[in-house]
Amino acid sequence: MKVTSSRFSHKTAFVVDHCPYMAESSRQMVECDMLTKSRGQGVIPLAPVSKSLWTCAVECSMEYCRILYDVYPTRKLVRSYVHYIVSDSEFHSLNSWRQEDQSTQELMAALASVGPPNPREDPECCSVLHGLVAAVESLCAITQYQHEARRTLMDVADRVANRGRIICLTNAKSDTHVRMLEDCVSETIQEQNKLAAGSDRLMPIQRCELVLVHIYPQGDDTLVSDRSRKELSSVLSSEVHSVRAGRHLASKLNILVQQHFDLASTTITNIPMKEEQHANTSANYDVELLHHRDAHLEFIKSAQPCFLCTGDLHMAGSTSRDSGLKETVTLKWCTPRTNNVELHYCTGAYRISPVDVNSRPSSCLTNFLLNGRSVLLEQPRKSGSKVISHMLSSHGGEIFLHVLNSTRSTLEDPPSISEGCGGRVTDYRITDFGEFMRENRLTPFSEGVLDASGRTSSERAKAQLERHTRYWPMIISQTTIFNMQAVVPLANLIVKESLSEEDVLTCQKTVFNLVDMERKNDPLPISTVGSRGKGPKRDEQYRIMWNELETLVKAHVGSSERHQRVLECISACRSKPPEEEERKKRGRKREDKEDKAEKNGKDADEKAWPDSERLKGPQEREKEEQTESEMIKDSPDSPEPLNKKPRLMSEEIQPPQKSKGPVSLLTMWTNRITATSRKHEVFAGRLNSVNNKAELYQHLKEDNGMDLHENGKATR
Amino acid sequence: MPTVVLMDSSLSMTRPVSQEGSEEFQRKNLAVHGLTMLFEHMATNYKLEFTSLVAFSSLWELMVPFTRDYNTLQEALSNLEDYDKTCLESALHGVSNIVQQEWGSTCPCQVVLVTDGALGIGRGSLRHSLHTLKQRVEDKKFPLPFPFPAKMFIMCIANVEELQSTDAMDNLEQLIGLNGGEGQIFTMEGPLCLKSVQSMFGKLIDQAYTPFYAVLHCGNLASDVQVFPRPEPVLVDEEVDPIPKAVQTDLEIVGFIEIADISSPPVLSRHLVLPIAVNKEVDEVGAGTTEDAEEEPSANQMAGKSPNFCVLLHGSLKVEGMVALVQLGPEWYGMLYSQADSKKKSNLMMSLFEPGPEPLPWLGKISQLGPISDAAENPYGEDDSKSPFPLQPKNKRSYAQNVTVWIKANGLQTDVQKILRNARKLPEKTQTFYKELNRLRKAALAFGFWELLKGVAELLERECTLLPDSAHPDAAFQLSHAAQQLKLASTGDSQYSAFNHNITPLHTDFSGGGAGDRM
Repeated sequence: MKVTSSRFSHKTAFVVDHCPYMAESSRQMVECDMLTKSRGQGVIPLAPVSKSLWTCAVECSMEYCRILYDVYPTRKLVRSYVHYIVSDSEFHSLNSWRQEDQSTQELMAALASVGPPNPREDPECCSVLHGLVAAVESLCAITQYQHEARRTLMDVADRVANRGRIICLTNAKSDTHVRMLEDCVSETIQEQNKLAAGSDRLMPIQRCELVLVHIYPQGDDTLVSDRSRKELSSVLSSEVHSVRAGRHLASKLNILVQQHFDLASTTITNIPMKEEQHANTSANYDVELLHHRDAHLEFIKSAQPCFLCTGDLHMAGSTSRDSGLKETVTLKWCTPRTNNVELHYCTGAYRISPVDVNSRPSSCLTNFLLNGRSVLLEQPRKSGSKVISHMLSSHGGEIFLHVLNSTRSTLEDPPSISEGCGGRVTDYRITDFGEFMRENRLTPFSEGVLDASGRTSSERAKAQLERHTRYWPMIISQTTIFNMQAVVPLANLIVKESLSEEDVLTCQKTVFNLVDMERKNDPLPISTVGSRGKGPKRDEQYRIMWNELETLVKAHVGSSERHQRVLECISACRSKPPEEEERKKRGRKREDKEDKAEKNGKDADEKAWPDSERLKGPQEREKEEQTESEMIKDSPDSPEPLNKKPRLMSEEIQPPQKSKGPVSLLTMWTNRITATSRKHEVFAGRLNSVNNKAELYQHLKEDNGMDLHENGKATR
Repeated sequence: MPTVVLMDSSLSMTRPVSQEGSEEFQRKNLAVHGLTMLFEHMATNYKLEFTSLVAFSSLWELMVPFTRDYNTLQEALSNLEDYDKTCLESALHGVSNIVQQEWGSTCPCQVVLVTDGALGIGRGSLRHSLHTLKQRVEDKKFPLPFPFPAKMFIMCIANVEELQSTDAMDNLEQLIGLNGGEGQIFTMEGPLCLKSVQSMFGKLIDQAYTPFYAVLHCGNLASDVQVFPRPEPVLVDEEVDPIPKAVQTDLEIVGFIEIADISSPPVLSRHLVLPIAVNKEVDEVGAGTTEDAEEEPSANQMAGKSPNFCVLLHGSLKVEGMVALVQLGPEWYGMLYSQADSKKKSNLMMSLFEPGPEPLPWLGKISQLGPISDAAENPYGEDDSKSPFPLQPKNKRSYAQNVTVWIKANGLQTDVQKILRNARKLPEKTQTFYKELNRLRKAALAFGFWELLKGVAELLERECTLLPDSAHPDAAFQLSHAAQQLKLASTGDSQYSAFNHNITPLHTDFSGGGAGDRM
């Protein structure tokens, strides 16, 4: 039954014996007065200290948890929870299955409050049994994850597995004592399962693995014999490890955590590190890391017996699981040359935990990585070629071992994109689309944030993409307005979901600005390439520009009433009624263009588009615009439009106040703008103006020499 | 997904096929005809697939190493000679080797076995191989399952009845079973003739070699694309009834992320995204050429000249060093990016993430990624100097938080020495001294290591007596204060041994003449 990943690893209950005999010394002495030796005579060195059995048990179990929490933190594939219980005359539960309780700091604090066992307590009252019973009860309790799994599965809730492991660190008296402990666990499971069967809040235990670790002081003979795993019942299996306190116990628990959680070891070799004493020399160090064993998949598989196998596939290191818990795969450090960010082809990424976390080499390596550098790792091979197979890299304070693809790619030598569809077009708006991508970058929002219409953040991101692309010509020669700096404020605002009053005003200003340009007969950055002679006349250019601008705004007119007002402003302000222009044009234009122009004229008269048409609108519009621009660009062999940069802006824009004649709509608007502008922060240009006359685009003149930009906009 | 064609060249393949009237065919001819059809299909519709040809009888031979040159394959096919008996096991070992040497053991492959279903006799026959399956020693294991993910397609130049009259069918089914059920047996329907072999290979093509077409959307911008190699359905673990998840034919861009932020993520597979011109849509896409559409200069030329969104996207992704996050299906995402094969050639690529709502821990849940315009202030900063990624995990990992581990003696010794070193530089190092002291105190309390507290207290008292005359008077006060505090903590008295309590420096004032005597 392979449901919801709950293997034994999902729940681990630690039961640590806290009875008086655990206060006994492990008799492993630690010399902590190291400096004294170098300080000459007269100083009596401090006697070495020794850890108690309890201290040994606690620090080794904490190490087990440390590795576990490093490699399997929350929310990812295998969720591993630890319930830490100590037991003397009663049991003390140091944490719970709750997510918040799953950290070593929490456990350390709780352990400190328990303190070491009291050697004077009556040994008759104390037993590890209390803890074992509590552990079984706790395995029946539902974890957050199981709860969620049961809730989502509903009708098949009984398929959520409940398996667990109890690791008991104790000092047993004899094999008989061990058997008594096992029997007790077995009986308790039976009782608890009966209870759980009738409860919604408990789950019966399907499988339980009991790992009994008997700890005895150095120099003593063990009274308990090792025993490999044995099935005690259909539910319970048990194994016994008899280990001397101290480093033997530490390496035993290190092996256990690797077995229990499918870990493997990699040793990074040849790490250059400055010597502590001599800063200008460096020596090479090795650091051993633990991680999920899938990071060695390539090695495990290629180490499979295969009698025709040749080549040096075996070389990389062997990790046969049965014999190989002590084995480690050695990979060589490759000093990073640049800080270039590259996108590697990575087939897996696994969290790591250093075996010797606070040794100097380990912390040098981890700090280097935590500072944001990545390190490529090379397989040591006897023969020639260098094979980079892994990479160490940190993401947000977590270090991952990335598995890189080191074999031949099946995608090698693909046809270049320039050979395919659209590959021959040379005037894509690459820079503009780059800008578009930056505006449409993503950022994380907090969980459960929904907008008014119940959309998630990513749905809003898609909606924004939809708005921003309603009218988006892909090539420079298909557009006029996007090549004009003057249109930028409006183009940036109109795609917004909602406009403020001020936004509307900015849009209107943009329109007036264009009107002004037209009145002064400023040239437009319309491609002249391909048209016979000088290209379209100035008034024709403006007609094209206005049509395109209307297309853009019409695509958004359904968004809000304020968007509508921008369109109204354009319709009201655009130079000549299209009909009039038609008449003018008819005289000189080729016959075949007329129909299209008429269509444009009609479109321009539409005040608003019905919602249903709004979406398909842009494409149609675009098509029309394209046919419009086609007459400009479509010539035999001149793909590069010349007139990319608008030069019109270098001329000063005359303040509308100076225009002669009766007061125009424009003047009225401008007056109003001047009035309202006092209510908000004054435009920097206006502050620096002389006689209320600011020179716009002052730098354009300076830049005029360098017409190299892809289009008229200033590039970032 | 590279393909190995494993062609049976045993003598039995030369058996004639009874056919009325027309010229006489051998089974081998039918097999070659079918493979020719497959190669022709691949040359036109699947031309980036690497294929190799292996012929086998009692021995096996690599006729053509992995290539995209289908003429070479075709040529080798027509020059095949006839050999002795069928021995599938060694041939499968050969396949296993060839694939691993070329592509390693993680690249998924397809094996097309073409045979007449006469699977040999005696030692070396498939029957014998399967029979002795459980009696193998370590280094003579049966080659299936392959160490790499593989699909096995068995093309039988025989019909079902013929295969079922012997145990051939059972054996072949067992073979597929050994391959983890990945694969299929194809047999010929009706009489053995060119037509039925065509229909059999047609089924294989439908099953395994149909190109994957999709539409790539970015809002209203879109492009028809072929995704190569075609993305295979993925089985998601953890689910109650695992159903293979397939990539949708509408690929929707969600937004964009910098390469540094996405940071070499682990992916299931990589695919080329090739823009294609779907005939009827040429007009729509290449609006500029509507007038010429009737003239049809050359479909390819035209497609090359009309703007395509993929090219625009690729160009900008390359220039900006960004990737596009793309939705492949419900709770399944991937990324699009520019991949350079050489300095001149580059391509639009798509990598698929592990299905699920949160494929990368450093991005968080994809559904919670929204447009920057929704944020109160631009999370990338006005000058792109910041980034909202990577997300920080709630708890720091052990290597990022200066944990105390005393399993090895030198871990403990280093920590004690640090305290003593700082003790000699009091009062300048007062802050560091107490910081290290408190770290040791916390760990000793958690580990129930009271003896250490007493020991370090004694060390500090001794240091106090060893202070040179020139020492600052504050040093002695701080040392004896620290020693006393440690001793108090080692009694287990809850007032002094609280885990979260910190020993603070003693307040002394030597500037005013009188020594601070608040002890």
